[in-house]
Amino acid sequence: MRPKPDQPLAEKTLKVWKIVTALSSILLVIFPAAYWGARFIFALPVWPLFVIIAIILLLAFINIFIIQKLQWSRWRYKIYENEIELMYGVFVVRRVIIPMIRVQHVDTKQGPILRHYDLATVTVSTAATTHEIPGLTLENADSLRDHIAQLAREADPDE
Amino acid sequence: MNEWKRQHPAAIFISFLSNLKQMIITLIAVFIFGQSSQAASPIFYLLFFAAILLFSVGNGFISWWKFHYFLKEDELQIKQGLIFRKNRFIRKDRIQSIDINAKLIQRMFGLVEVRIETAGGGSEPEFRIVALKKQEALAIKKHLLTKYERPTVHATELDEDEGFLAEQGETNSTLNPLNDELKADTANDSVNAEGIEEVEFDEEDTPPDFEWALGSKRLIIAALTSSGVGIAATFIAAIVSQAPQFLPEWLFDQLIGWFIHSSILVLGGMLVSILFAAWLFTLIGTILKYGYFTLTKRENDIHISRGVLEQRQLTLNAKRITAVRIVQTPIRQMFNYVSIYVESAGGGTKEEDLSTILTPLCKRKEIQGILDEIVPEFSFIPEYEGLPKESLRRYMIKLIVPSLIIAGVATYFIPYGWIAFLLPALGGGLGYIQYRSAGISQVEDFLCIKSRVIAKTEVFLPKRRIQDVESSQNVLQKLDNLYTIHVAVLTSMVGKTFSLRHISGEQIERGYLWYSYEQRLREQTKKTSADHEES
Repeated sequence: MRPKPDQPLAEKTLKVWKIVTALSSILLVIFPAAYWGARFIFALPVWPLFVIIAIILLLAFINIFIIQKLQWSRWRYKIYENEIELMYGVFVVRRVIIPMIRVQHVDTKQGPILRHYDLATVTVSTAATTHEIPGLTLENADSLRDHIAQLAREADPDE
Repeated sequence: MNEWKRQHPAAIFISFLSNLKQMIITLIAVFIFGQSSQAASPIFYLLFFAAILLFSVGNGFISWWKFHYFLKEDELQIKQGLIFRKNRFIRKDRIQSIDINAKLIQRMFGLVEVRIETAGGGSEPEFRIVALKKQEALAIKKHLLTKYERPTVHATELDEDEGFLAEQGETNSTLNPLNDELKADTANDSVNAEGIEEVEFDEEDTPPDFEWALGSKRLIIAALTSSGVGIAATFIAAIVSQAPQFLPEWLFDQLIGWFIHSSILVLGGMLVSILFAAWLFTLIGTILKYGYFTLTKRENDIHISRGVLEQRQLTLNAKRITAVRIVQTPIRQMFNYVSIYVESAGGGTKEEDLSTILTPLCKRKEIQGILDEIVPEFSFIPEYEGLPKESLRRYMIKLIVPSLIIAGVATYFIPYGWIAFLLPALGGGLGYIQYRSAGISQVEDFLCIKSRVIAKTEVFLPKRRIQDVESSQNVLQKLDNLYTIHVAVLTSMVGKTFSLRHISGEQIERGYLWYSYEQRLREQTKKTSADHEES
């Protein structure tokens, strides 16, 4: 069996994900709002409104406190000398192998929330695909980026 | 030839037509909206239409007037644009391939289009000069493909280029009489046809290393079997026309009554005629598209030339081919015919899903011979390993469940809807066939995967072309320790991912092992798996 990658993401990343998920959950308000609006036009009972609100709250709660946590705890990466391996996902577990010789460029990027927590995302691009390691501490991300860039440069193209 | 030149004035018309094509959509929108508002008079529309026509002509004229090209020693320079000026320098050593096409519109004027493909990305990897006399186009091609004199250039490369040119001349002459005519014309009135003369000289000098043509018999077969929908349509039409003879009279009467009652006959008739028309279109389309199909190879250049009305040529470098795909639709499988596609970094046309058709139709046993000549490293017969029996239910359930739901809904809402319960049975059968068709194999440095949606597809992927390997496992697959493998390669300018669903844990491990570049990890993996087997 191929050993699984063992490097986790930064702990603060979970916090960022929770915030992002909570913010995007606000969009779900559209469903009860739509029903509330529909009641002005059609004669609809009140109780489904509360059911909808309850379901949305429950879903948001599960998403924020359980799924994000699982997602975070499942996320693993490992940088070998000749390849990068990623493994992540809750319902669908994905495992990716990117050889160093196929890496075309590697970037770090930050959104406003990541920046607030001094985190950054490392993006690895090949000629055909792009992969992300989301949420590492800034210094870790920077050194990882430089490390991968160095390894990619050194990788033997004749292999 | 050392001055700025314009294209043939017919470029005005060509650009006008292509402008018009884009504007037709706008026009339709305007007319639709125009009908709802009653304020505007018909004169307004007339004016509007005239303005658009005028604008198109003007635009075409300006784009011709302001388009200059200049063939310099080591590059092609292009100046274009009236308000937004664009200068483009295409360096010789960056040119991937040059193709000379004659589309319908160009042929009306006896002209050709030159398509230059450059290396590297950028937003415009290819460049077109839409209207040129054939001799001029050939001269440009020859000029650009003759390497700029530099001490580092190898003599062989020069030869290659020469061969490339010759190929151009030859495919044209062998291929189609219309083009011959065109060539004869240009030869007659050519004053300084130095390019052509040399081309013809080369033509006799170097025959192609390999040549393959889709004969007219194959073309007809390809056209007849081109589309599953088409076949279905003919089939349905045949059944409908034959059915009354075989049905007992009482049933026939009852059916007719029912048909008339529900006016399904009308609908069915419409459906059949639509399908038939679709079949006819695909038939004619295929003949026009693949008529005069020839495939030639000279050194590393693969040259494809095809088309009856629109002659298309495509040059690919054999070294840039990233994958070979062998596709077999069920109807072609019955007659043991296949088509071969290649994925190539650069080249490739949009209409073929970004990959290039190498052979529209050939017998399965011919694949080997063709690949041997065109891309020898891809020429092998892999022995596929089937999928574990656990994956059979994944394939079947995936198709049965949705069709059961459809059948349930149909039964509830539509009279005779229970007939839809045939769907789950069909789905199950298809799932079983998909499972039987799927397979994976590693042949030295190649990963081969075989799968089927409806048509059976085999893909050969060389390790050094694979950009990354990914496995995924969903919750249901986890129950049976199954994985899906995804393999990405570069095609044209974007990536393409090939997948095989529901392979076993052991197979995915072997996949990792095969692909991994980490020597230490490979040894470790081998050791642990050996230990695993012992215990």
